[in-house]
Amino acid sequence: MRPPAYRVSPRAIAHWAIEYLLVWGLLFGLALGVAAWIGDSGWSALPGWLSDRVRLLPHAVGGAGLLMVAVAPVWRYRVHRWEVSADVLYTRTGWFSREWLLVPVSRIQTVDTEQGWIERLLGLATIEVNTASHTGSSELSGLPVGVATRLAEDLAHRAHDLRDDAT
Amino acid sequence: MNVHGEASPAVRDPHLPDDSAPGRRLHPLTFVVGAVREMLALLAAGATGLLVGGLSTAFYFTLAGLLFGLVFHVVSWGTFTYVLYDDRIELRRALVGRSVKSIPRDRIRGVDISASLPHRLLRLAVVHIDAGADGGEGTLNAVSRQEAERLRRALLTRTGAVPRLRPLGRMRRRWYVYAPLSGAYLLTPFALAGSLLGTLYNVGDDLGLITRDRVEAIAHDMVGLPPAVVVALAILVLLAMPIMSIVVFMLFNWDFTLYARGGSLVAERGLITRRSVSLERRRLRGVELADNPFERMSGVARLGALVTGLGDAAHRGRLLPAAPRPVAVSLAARVLGELPGPLRRHPRAARGRRVVRAVAPPLGVGALALLAGQPWVAGTCGALAVLAVPLGLDRYRQLGHATDDARLTVRSGSLRRRQVVVEHGAVVGWRIRRTLFQRRLGLATLSVAVGAGEGGYQAVDMAEPDAVALAAAITPAWVTPFLAAPTPGGGRRT
Repeated sequence: MRPPAYRVSPRAIAHWAIEYLLVWGLLFGLALGVAAWIGDSGWSALPGWLSDRVRLLPHAVGGAGLLMVAVAPVWRYRVHRWEVSADVLYTRTGWFSREWLLVPVSRIQTVDTEQGWIERLLGLATIEVNTASHTGSSELSGLPVGVATRLAEDLAHRAHDLRDDAT
Repeated sequence: MNVHGEASPAVRDPHLPDDSAPGRRLHPLTFVVGAVREMLALLAAGATGLLVGGLSTAFYFTLAGLLFGLVFHVVSWGTFTYVLYDDRIELRRALVGRSVKSIPRDRIRGVDISASLPHRLLRLAVVHIDAGADGGEGTLNAVSRQEAERLRRALLTRTGAVPRLRPLGRMRRRWYVYAPLSGAYLLTPFALAGSLLGTLYNVGDDLGLITRDRVEAIAHDMVGLPPAVVVALAILVLLAMPIMSIVVFMLFNWDFTLYARGGSLVAERGLITRRSVSLERRRLRGVELADNPFERMSGVARLGALVTGLGDAAHRGRLLPAAPRPVAVSLAARVLGELPGPLRRHPRAARGRRVVRAVAPPLGVGALALLAGQPWVAGTCGALAVLAVPLGLDRYRQLGHATDDARLTVRSGSLRRRQVVVEHGAVVGWRIRRTLFQRRLGLATLSVAVGAGEGGYQAVDMAEPDAVALAAAITPAWVTPFLAAPTPGGGRRT
């Protein structure tokens, strides 16, 4: 199958990067806390090899986080694409594992647009397309607000016209 | 929800006599059934209270509780009515406040009738109406058997005509011996015994019969038993397990019969509590054949239905609890239509992936245990990892898919193998998933999105072109536009 025609907004890279930074920053903080706590307590229940190496934990978490922040957003931007043909919404999402999703407009039940606070800062929006099946429901993030709103309206309108009862 | 109650001059069902206009009551004997259980419990408590403490306050409390329970049941019977209209059924409760629950008849997906032992003795039945997520559900506890049948007919057919009851399949007596093959029934006796022991302990504790000394004495006696007795007891338990599982299986599935009645399927089962479940055929999207390795060796399979908007589908969607495979397959063909086949196997590259995925978890835990200096755990994990190799190989052997011009089928799993058959018209979307490793092996997992059952069923590790071709063959209009090269320019670009 060929990839869908349109990329998401390049600002989506910034969005994902901020998200990863926040999540991994939190994990890094937790790792620092755990390391300090175990290092101080001299907890005898833990095997010696573990308490000796526990100060490496923040380094490992921090390294993994930096790698994720550097690699994942760009990778995702290169993968994420979407397209609406006559009666099908076709998306490709993911990065390490990719998903191609075909949702026929006639089977769409609801179309939601959502904006988190990062997305509002960047002028982006996420579209959620729901069908009767969770497997057949799609979430497309990183669209510019204008495009997302138009697309959601368009999809909802056409879904209403085409709707059949096959759920 | 209609809050006007009987004020609205709704059109009434012409098939109903006019006395239904103000609403029907449940059967007068209903509160007897409700009260009997409480009475038994309270009588037991009262009798022990009398024995232990004579005519104490506890005894009068029990008596008061009994009276209160009876009054409660009488009042709840007296304030509850139901009315069947052309387009809906209304369940009304008017005690202090008034509540009207209105279930639209065209949303009703199933009407279940069940009857516990006291209900059966009094010729009553509980009617449960299920109208899916957007219609809600309601229970009529309880009406007479004839009324239950009449309601079900009226609610499911909408015409009021009496459709013929045509048996589709019935469990044979000798199939009950398949019960021990399925692990679930093998373990049920333990769950029952556990809850029984727990109840005994609690009751004994309440009555002050259980003291620390006695528990310790029993434990001491158990430890002091000669090994021969322990071995004999273990053997006895092992022998009892399959027999108990057959007994439990018979309790639930006695005389399991599947009927076709007009536009719905009706499954009846149960020895003490007789249960009947109606499934609308127009909401049937497919069927599922499941088995485990023991059942496979004995050629046994279970058949279930994939029905849109059915709650508790694992129990209510059952079409055959255990039967020889050819019987299950032919019943599936009668319910849904011929199953597509033979199954196409998945490419060789998928085999390594199945084995790796089976072996990796025990191997990973084993490696961690080795690092942590736990050789015993590591050894066990190593043994498990070795056992996982044939499991992975079998998982690969069971992978398969097929389609004809009306239905598609996918099969996967080994310890719990499932073959799902779905009608082409029931497909609501396609999802193709490829991890980095799958991309390197040219594999793809195709998920069929269906608005019934679990919502999606996977054809694991198909060859990538096959996955696309299968989707394209079933819904050409959705897939073919994306097979060609993209049209340059035009449309919304971001």
